[in-house]
Amino acid sequence: MEKAHDPKDLDLTASGRGVWLVKVPKYLSEKWSNTRGGSELGRLKISRPKFVGAKQEVLFTLPEATVAGDSIPRDHKFAITKIGNQNLSVLSETGTNTEDSTTTVAITGKVIQRAECRPIAGDRYMELKKKALEMSNKPQMEVKVLDKAVVNYKPKANHAFNREWDLKKKEEGKRSRTDKDKVLEMLYNAFEKHQYYNVKDLVTITKQPITWLKEILKEICNYNMRAPHKNMWELKPEYRHYTAKEDDT
Amino acid sequence: MASQQAAATAGSSSNPPAQEFIVRLGRETKSDKFSVLKFAENLKVDFTKTSNVKLERQNNFREFKQANDMEAMPKFGAGSEYGREQKDEARRRKYGIIRKKYNPDAQPWLLKNGSGKTAKKYKGSREGGISDNASYYIFTQCPDGAFEAHPVDEWYNFTPIIKYKYLDADEAEEAFNKRDKTLNYFNIMLKKRLKDDDGADEADEEEKKMKGKGKKSDFCLTDLDDGVPLSGDDLDMDDSDDEGAPKSKDKKKKIKARKNAKHTADDEAVEESDEGDFDEREVDYMTSGSSSDEDDLKEEDKKKYDETGVVDEDGLRKLNESDESEEEEEEKDKDNDEDNEKDESEKGEKKSDKKASDTESSGSSSDSESEPESGFAKALFMQNRKKKSGGSKESSRSNTPVPSADNEDKKGKKRKAGRDSPVTKKARPSTPTPTSTVATSAITTAATTVPSKISTTPTPSDGISEEAVRRYLMRKPMTVVDLVKKFKSKNPGLNNDDMGKAIVQILKKVNPEKSKHQGKLYLSLKAT
Repeated sequence: MEKAHDPKDLDLTASGRGVWLVKVPKYLSEKWSNTRGGSELGRLKISRPKFVGAKQEVLFTLPEATVAGDSIPRDHKFAITKIGNQNLSVLSETGTNTEDSTTTVAITGKVIQRAECRPIAGDRYMELKKKALEMSNKPQMEVKVLDKAVVNYKPKANHAFNREWDLKKKEEGKRSRTDKDKVLEMLYNAFEKHQYYNVKDLVTITKQPITWLKEILKEICNYNMRAPHKNMWELKPEYRHYTAKEDDT
Repeated sequence: MASQQAAATAGSSSNPPAQEFIVRLGRETKSDKFSVLKFAENLKVDFTKTSNVKLERQNNFREFKQANDMEAMPKFGAGSEYGREQKDEARRRKYGIIRKKYNPDAQPWLLKNGSGKTAKKYKGSREGGISDNASYYIFTQCPDGAFEAHPVDEWYNFTPIIKYKYLDADEAEEAFNKRDKTLNYFNIMLKKRLKDDDGADEADEEEKKMKGKGKKSDFCLTDLDDGVPLSGDDLDMDDSDDEGAPKSKDKKKKIKARKNAKHTADDEAVEESDEGDFDEREVDYMTSGSSSDEDDLKEEDKKKYDETGVVDEDGLRKLNESDESEEEEEEKDKDNDEDNEKDESEKGEKKSDKKASDTESSGSSSDSESEPESGFAKALFMQNRKKKSGGSKESSRSNTPVPSADNEDKKGKKRKAGRDSPVTKKARPSTPTPTSTVATSAITTAATTVPSKISTTPTPSDGISEEAVRRYLMRKPMTVVDLVKKFKSKNPGLNNDDMGKAIVQILKKVNPEKSKHQGKLYLSLKAT
């Protein structure tokens, strides 16, 4: 986590490169998000202005394959706009979301032109809009008439997780009292890692019957009855391996 | 650039009408991200010209922990609990709380341009909502002429991190109001000089106006609040009664003149007048009037004290004498009234008499109540005395019953009560019934009663009297310091030692109830 906050040197080698910032309609970006990297998205036709001072015309045409089954307009026009008084740079991060955290950051360019990819209105586009409208007007929930009752919970004699648990218990068998020294060693081991333990946890750790464990605990431990570590056992000060300064209870 | 290149290639070939380019999807993997960094143009951030740029994510983990109640418990060793985190998580799940994990990649960017002290820092916060209805792609041109499209994942808006203190909205507003105002010190001095002259005039005016004024102080609910006698008001009342309209007109004119003077002074003033400038002036006028009122009253008092030298017994006696004599006069007036109503100047008094007769019954009842309670009687007596201290001057001036009668006009009820009250009776045990009293006899009796009065009021000239102390204590519990302050505010010219002594003496005599509250000794008196 701390590594993520380390300052990284920004790679500025490509910062002078001019790039276009293109606004693309959602239906196109949805299409493109599923395509593989490196595949062709379309063709850009840039025509020279007919006379001096006229705006150049940029047309964008999708390949037949992408348009095939869908009602997506094939031809788009790029409306080119200036960037105004904004200073837009493009930052690329490579290697994010990876565990080794070798993220590198670089400025890959400066936006020199903005373009808006607009569909040229036609039958296909109208169809697309019509579908979109229908989709948005469709109610999210509908009333249905049922012929017979739907059973979505079937009674069961014994659930799988119950059976599992029983099996496990049987394997373990009854907890038997082991030698006191061994139990003490286990307890000391446990208390080396943490200061406070619940009895239940100690039972699972030492695998001793609870009465036996409590007998031993009473000898070497204190029982906390009050707030910060309520109902928890901690070693008596004389058995601790750390200084007693933390003992604020 | 791409278009330029296209044009160039078009130019190099046999000038076809259009140039066609293939657009490919970028070959980046899922772990690559493109984002657009937005800087304001005026920041002049140019990555091509700088070399040392560092980028990092802002570390908000601590804030995140605080916001999410994640206490910093040790995971191992001393103070740690076994299985604490799991248990907490399980409990949260039980209650349906799903906590967001801290995502360092969702934190703002911090960009540092340059190094050392000259480094400029920017903070880039993520902008949402841009790609809600549309997507953005970056089109870059490859060496082979084809375009590569890369989807833009995030937008970041970079703003400079400001360390110095800047004005907030309110301060900016204030500063905005002050703009375009230049100070011309010459004009300031001129204004000051003009004001000084004006001030001198004003003082005169105020003195005159004082007479016409005083209606304002009619709004006083109780005269207990001021140690200063209110006689001035009463006098003025009759003045205005006498002269009526012309006087008030005069006053208005004066006010106008004064305002004009101020205006002219302001015309040469340094600042352009703004809206709201005159509000202040209005307030100024009001307060100056009232304060000068008080000042005048005090001055009057001082004068009076100078004349009589009340500090010594003699002066007091005189004062009392004048009191008594006035009372006599009043009584005489009343007699006259009852006998004949031919004197025009006593019309006001007649009115008062009517009032008095209206309230006679209540007064008499209060009399019967107050008979045994010497405190109340004393208070009444004090009032009488106070009123007289104003009236005495009046009487000495005009020696006519008119002012006192008008005095009565205002305080008719109290007067009446005072006259019939046991106080006067006590004060003049030997006097016969009021109707038949003669001024001379009153004077003599007054003279005899003087010593006793003095004993009750050790330093009447200071305004520190047993009565006053009683009054204050009866009103609410006070500390000694409060008392001293009260008297100090009434008599600013006194030194603390004398006042302190006087107050202590009085307190000994009054013997108020003492109670401790928050470490302070409060004195109080039960209303008798």
